[in-house]
Amino acid sequence: METRRPQLNLDELHQVRWLLGNGLALISIATVFYLEINAWVLAAAAGIVVLATLVRPTLPAHLPPLAHKLAFPFIVIFFAWDLYSTGEVLPAMIRLDLLLLLYRGGSYRKKRDDLQVIILGLFLVMIAGVLTVSLTFAVQILVFTAVTLAFLFVITLVEGIEGDPAAPAPASAAGVPAWARVRWRRLARRVRDVTDWRLLALGAGLFLGVVTVSALLFMAIPRFQLESSFFLERFMSKKSRTGFSDTIRLGDVVDIQQDNSVALRVDVSDPARVPVVPYWRMVVLDEYKNGTLRTSRRLQNEMLISAQQAPYAMGPARPPRAAAVFWTFYFESGISRHLPLAGPFYLLRFREPQWFQQQNMLLMLALRNEPVAMTAYRIDGMATDGFIPDRRFAGILQEARAATPDRGGAPEAADERSRPAYPLTTLGLPDRTDDRLTLRRAADEITAGAHLTPHDFAERASRWLREKHGYSLEVPAPAGGGDPVVAWMKTSQPGHCELFAAAFTLLARTAGLPTRVVTGFKGGDWNAYENYYMVRNSHAHAWCEVYDGATGWFRVDPTAGGGAVTTGQQNVAGGAANLQNADRSWGARLDSIRILWYRRIVNFDQRTQLALVQSLRDATNSFGAAMRYSFDRAWLSARMWLRRPWDVRRLLTWAGVVVGAGVALEFWRRAGRTWWWRLRGRHRSGRADPVRRRAGRWLQKLVGSRGSGDESRKVVAELQRLRYGPRAGWPEPAAVFRRARRAWRSGRRDVAHAPDGGGAAEP
Amino acid sequence: MKTAAESSAPSAEWEGPGCGRRRRFRWSELLWSIIFPARSHRIKPTLTGMVLISMALGIGSAAYNTASNILFITLSLLLACLILSGVMSWQNLRGVCWRLLLQPPLRAGQEAPVTLELWNRKALLPTHGLWFELSARPVPRGPQRPESTVTATSADIRAAFARREAEAMSGRLRLRERLDPDQQARLDWLFVPARRGVVRVELASVGSLFPFGFLSKNHGTRLRREAVVWPAPVAYRVLRPAAALRQSEGERVARPGSSDDLLALRRYQPGDSHRLIHWKASARLRQLLVRQFAAESAEGFSLWLQTPAAVWLRPEQFELLCGLACTLAEDLFTAGQLVLTAVNAEEPLPIRRVRDLESFLDRVAVLEPEDGDQRAEVSGQPAAPKPLGEGGRTEVRGQQVGDEASTAASASRPPFVMQRRNVITFAPEGVRGVAAFVDGNKTATA
Repeated sequence: METRRPQLNLDELHQVRWLLGNGLALISIATVFYLEINAWVLAAAAGIVVLATLVRPTLPAHLPPLAHKLAFPFIVIFFAWDLYSTGEVLPAMIRLDLLLLLYRGGSYRKKRDDLQVIILGLFLVMIAGVLTVSLTFAVQILVFTAVTLAFLFVITLVEGIEGDPAAPAPASAAGVPAWARVRWRRLARRVRDVTDWRLLALGAGLFLGVVTVSALLFMAIPRFQLESSFFLERFMSKKSRTGFSDTIRLGDVVDIQQDNSVALRVDVSDPARVPVVPYWRMVVLDEYKNGTLRTSRRLQNEMLISAQQAPYAMGPARPPRAAAVFWTFYFESGISRHLPLAGPFYLLRFREPQWFQQQNMLLMLALRNEPVAMTAYRIDGMATDGFIPDRRFAGILQEARAATPDRGGAPEAADERSRPAYPLTTLGLPDRTDDRLTLRRAADEITAGAHLTPHDFAERASRWLREKHGYSLEVPAPAGGGDPVVAWMKTSQPGHCELFAAAFTLLARTAGLPTRVVTGFKGGDWNAYENYYMVRNSHAHAWCEVYDGATGWFRVDPTAGGGAVTTGQQNVAGGAANLQNADRSWGARLDSIRILWYRRIVNFDQRTQLALVQSLRDATNSFGAAMRYSFDRAWLSARMWLRRPWDVRRLLTWAGVVVGAGVALEFWRRAGRTWWWRLRGRHRSGRADPVRRRAGRWLQKLVGSRGSGDESRKVVAELQRLRYGPRAGWPEPAAVFRRARRAWRSGRRDVAHAPDGGGAAEP
Repeated sequence: MKTAAESSAPSAEWEGPGCGRRRRFRWSELLWSIIFPARSHRIKPTLTGMVLISMALGIGSAAYNTASNILFITLSLLLACLILSGVMSWQNLRGVCWRLLLQPPLRAGQEAPVTLELWNRKALLPTHGLWFELSARPVPRGPQRPESTVTATSADIRAAFARREAEAMSGRLRLRERLDPDQQARLDWLFVPARRGVVRVELASVGSLFPFGFLSKNHGTRLRREAVVWPAPVAYRVLRPAAALRQSEGERVARPGSSDDLLALRRYQPGDSHRLIHWKASARLRQLLVRQFAAESAEGFSLWLQTPAAVWLRPEQFELLCGLACTLAEDLFTAGQLVLTAVNAEEPLPIRRVRDLESFLDRVAVLEPEDGDQRAEVSGQPAAPKPLGEGGRTEVRGQQVGDEASTAASASRPPFVMQRRNVITFAPEGVRGVAAFVDGNKTATA
């Protein structure tokens, strides 16, 4: 006898509702931990309270009624104070959201409170997604959606049973609802008993359908390019790493190198054009003073003045003549507002209009504010040879020299305002005379009295530094006073990239060569799975650019162990080298999912949508032709196959195939179809039973037949017992079927010999 | 809840999406039904649905203003959830049949049970969370006029509708448990008919919030059942003991009972004693027949109900008349003393079985005062019966009164003449009361 699937009673449904509601709150609270907002304490407190009440639903009953009355005023006052003290709207709203979740998760909820939990949770998840544009958001929104749908489903079931949603849940004298005394193991067993795996599979399929439909909707929703910028960034500020700001101290870049997370991903339309060791320029630091490198005030002002809001930026390079190479950058947030560039470019496009500052003379491009989310931009026509053309610099430098009086010593007395401005900053040296003398001696040692071209000097100076110092991230502070870089040069201690770059800069400037320090990333890992460049924070680097005296700046990387010193000696056959050294680790595999997220989802725009429509149209057009071609080929193959000579082996092979197919068909008839009917739940009415089905077929044949009366009726009666009767009262099925066959044949004979000619044969 | 394996196809009483032949799915019909839903199909957003729609609008606006794909994803998910909700809701209702069962007798002023049977004919999916809007309203007697005219004001129309609605009783039944595939469930609804007549019980709509409570969906139905409501029993006062009413020459009643007199033969039914089988008759007719004996013959009464409109001027008095007549008929039948009933000039109905009594009650339930075209001729005055004439008999002559068709039909029959003793008649007593007379002697009042 079939047993009915049990059902959850009202109390158990309440318990599941409580579980899902608090689980939803926990999922939402977890977003705050990767949101990088100063709300961790509050998030931890909310998480603990919600988790505790989730495990022990009787806890909220201990909350005094006064707490419920004071909760709302307290939350409002807290929000007002938070907003007033911090001045940031979005973090204050997130903290407000957390407080509300804490309260709702820690107290008994009615239906509208459950809805509030959903809205509060969705707000947190959505804000986290918008602010981080992280792949985690995709996972989290899917989990959130699944739990929310289950939550709403249970709420609807509870409401359907209770009838009146406004009716309060029955509570005991102590204020504890009856359902709150949960025994989770028992509930788990009950849920397991109630669950039908077919329905579970169907639910999973439906959810997969939701994801598919939402993906289709995402692609199909019409996009319009509205000229407005992203609004949430106005309500929130973010600090980036100091190593990539306008001012850095020695060691700042090294700090970044400790982090191995991916900072930049670069998609290239032609991987062969990627240099072996690309340098991603971010900040140009032309001024040096006492161990601090910075962009000079004049250049900073020019950057500030150049601020504009536009969806694209024009670079100093000319339009590419040959087939253009597109570079798509996905620059993570929290690193810098300066965007990495490999060299002079023609055009840079943002996903949406952005406020940005641009200095083409330095080839620097920075967003006005620190980006709170991943920044994506595409560059057309970018040079990667490490040379920055700048023919105007020589003239500017000459004018500046002519306009600046010779101070004739006592440079230590010079204040901030009287310090030389750009472009003279590219020749700036330490203020102390003994430091300058040290540098002069070193420069003389490098040149050996010869007049060297800038390239030769760079080569020799780099070699001189490399011979004298090794590479190390751990650099002890040099003893004695004076300039720290000069002090380091005096020793033979190893150094990091910033020390090498700063030392080279001072040496070159001492030799009269305009030189500047550039920070950014060097190199990267080629992802073998999705073919893109992964640049990690550990690839942070500092190097130099030296003016060649007439045409522009060439790159010099003096750091020991850093490979080739100057440009022109590297960056050839990059694509092949990159593919050979591609990263095939699990980390790269996981990271490739993130680039897919960026490519297909985050970077999806109107242009991509149009391209998708076009490709769909093309695919549709080509599908018919491809099908016709395939059919023609199959037909031709079949004809050729038939014309081939038939030998015994071939015959046996195909006979085996036919027999195998027959066996499979018979197996399906005997077992597979029964299984399928059982799967569809028809076994309840007994139709899945093969004996009953066979009896049904014979009944169809015999009912209405003109066969001999008594025998036919008896057989029909027995067949009906087999078809509909209880199994205990069955006659022998095989015998009944034999008699049914005889009765049917007899009926056919009667029909054939009937005076009217017999008519049609029985079915 | 029980398995519905006893029959694979629903009978004609069943209605709902799961009944009848499955129509071929057409996209055009689906789209058209979304644009222009059927008259009784209503979809209304709930609080949850309003929240969802508001969120979708807000997120959509933000997405277009910021070109943020994260917001577009969220918007897509919200819209996909709405689509999923629609699909699941459709699946929930698909394959469900329902039928209304009324369990007579229905009596005014007493609770009447209405049973709604549900059948989930789906193969795999259960059905959850349905509710059923039921209503019971009296069917107006006689020809009806329109509730309003073209010149009526809106207030008049509203008042007319309000009057109609005030007469109706409505209730909501909820399917609180899961209805598994191929299972049936029964839901009971009790209502109290206010007055006698014909009541129409209607399943107005089937609603659901399933699955997520975004939309309240009402699926209108045309399932209705009509039933006769008998008059409410009334308390009456007996002025003379019943025994004294009995006349030695009273009518005798023959009905199934346990005396030695053979009344009839009937088919054998499971549970009948084998001793009662009439073997000869069974052998002759090739089926088992059992003997049915008569009850003790007893003196009986005939009940004659006359309702001339000129006599029964007050509606409440007329209602009391109907109630008293039915109550007396039932009491007399219970005592085995009811022989015959007659209503106005209609053909008298011998009362032998319960079914005969029920027919009389059914007739009284829809009885109305008759107009002046009364052709029944009654010796004596109907409104104030006189004591028995010669021989103590009451003579009734007449024919059925009704529309022309029935009059023409009855004209072909000879007018019946009834001469009996112990005929109970009725007359108004005072302004509110009703009196019952036995052969002209006042016997009971109500």
